[in-house]
Amino acid sequence: MVTCPSCVRTQPLALVCAGCGAPIGASVDLFAALNLPRRLTIDPEALERAYHNLSRRIHPDRFGSASVRIRDASLRATALLTRAYRTLRDPAARGRYWLELHGHKLGDDNQRVPANLAALVFETQERLAELRDERTPGNLAAARARREEVARALDAAGLELAENFARWDADGVATADGEHAARFAELKAVLSKIAYLTTLHRDIDRELETARAA
Amino acid sequence: MAYSDKVIDHYNNPRNVGSFDKGDADVGTGIVGAPECGDVMKLQLRINPESRVIEDARFKTFGCGSAIASSSYVTELVKGKHIEEAMTIKNTVIVQELNLPPVKIHCSVLAEDAIKAAIGDWKKQHEDARPSAEPRKAQEG
Ligand code: FES
Repeated sequence: MVTCPSCVRTQPLALVCAGCGAPIGASVDLFAALNLPRRLTIDPEALERAYHNLSRRIHPDRFGSASVRIRDASLRATALLTRAYRTLRDPAARGRYWLELHGHKLGDDNQRVPANLAALVFETQERLAELRDERTPGNLAAARARREEVARALDAAGLELAENFARWDADGVATADGEHAARFAELKAVLSKIAYLTTLHRDIDRELETARAA
Repeated sequence: MAYSDKVIDHYNNPRNVGSFDKGDADVGTGIVGAPECGDVMKLQLRINPESRVIEDARFKTFGCGSAIASSSYVTELVKGKHIEEAMTIKNTVIVQELNLPPVKIHCSVLAEDAIKAAIGDWKKQHEDARPSAEPRKAQEG
C-alpha cells in the first residue's frame, strides 16, 4: 500500500493516485505503469494515448511549486513512465521484458546460433569485408542485396514474435508447465534471432554508409 | 567504455584471425552468439586425432572489442592443450587476463562457449562416425 502525497489517500501501489490523479510514483510493473492490461499484444495507438495522457498529468513542470514529496513523486513517476513507454513500444524489448518479469534471462544457456542464421551472418560479413577492400559496383550491389535479405528475415521474425505473443494472450500465464516452458524457449529463440539480425542489419548499414561517404 | 591495454592490444593485433579449410577433417568449428547484443563468434580448432591435442586455432568474431580480444586470447590459450584440458577453461581466466569489467563478462562467456562448441563439433565428427568409417588405429584417447 502507498499513500498519495497530494490527497493522502492510502491505496495499492500505483503510478498515479486513484483518487486525485496526482503522481505517486510507486514502483509498479511496466504494464501497470501505463495502465495497460498485462498482455503482450499492444495496440500502438492505445499505447501512445496512454503515455501522452499520463505524461501530461504527472509532468514535473506542473509541480514546480509543490512540496518536495510531490515533486519527487512526479520525477519518479515520469522516469518509470518513460521506461515503460520505451520498453513496451518496441516488440523485441517488450518480449525481453516479459522474460525478465517471469524470472528468465535471454542469455542464460542460450549461446547456440542456429546453423542457417550463422551462415547468413558469416556470409554477409564476408561480403561486407569485400566491400571494405574494394568499393566496386558489384560489391555494393551484393551488400545491398544482403541488406534486403536481412530486412525480410527481420520481418518474418517479427511475425513469429507476434504469434508467440498471441499465444500468451490467449491463455494468460496460467498454462500447463510443459507448454509454458516450451513457449518461453520459443520466445527466447525468436528474440535471439531478432538480436542477431538487428546487429547484422546495423553492420550492413554502417558499411554502406561508409562506402557512400568515400 | 574504457578498455584495458590487453584488450586494446588483442583488438589492434588480433592473433589467429581467419578460417581453416572447410574440408579439413581434423578441424572442429564452434559458432556461438550472445543474444543480449547480437554479437557472434566462430572458433575453429585443429585437433590431432591421435594425441587429441589442439595444434592450431582460428577465429572470426563480429562483435565488441572485448569479444574480439577474448577470442583472440583464447586461440593462444588453447594451443598445445589436450581437448579435455581445454574443455575446463573457464571464462574467469579470460576476464582476469583481459581485465574485463562486469558489463563485459558475457563477452568472455562467449569465448568459453566457443571452445566447448568447437570441441563438441570435432568429437561429433570423430567419435560418432568412428565404428563404420575409421580405419585409424582403434584405441586412441
Ligand atoms: S558486447 Fe556482446 S559480445 Fe561483447
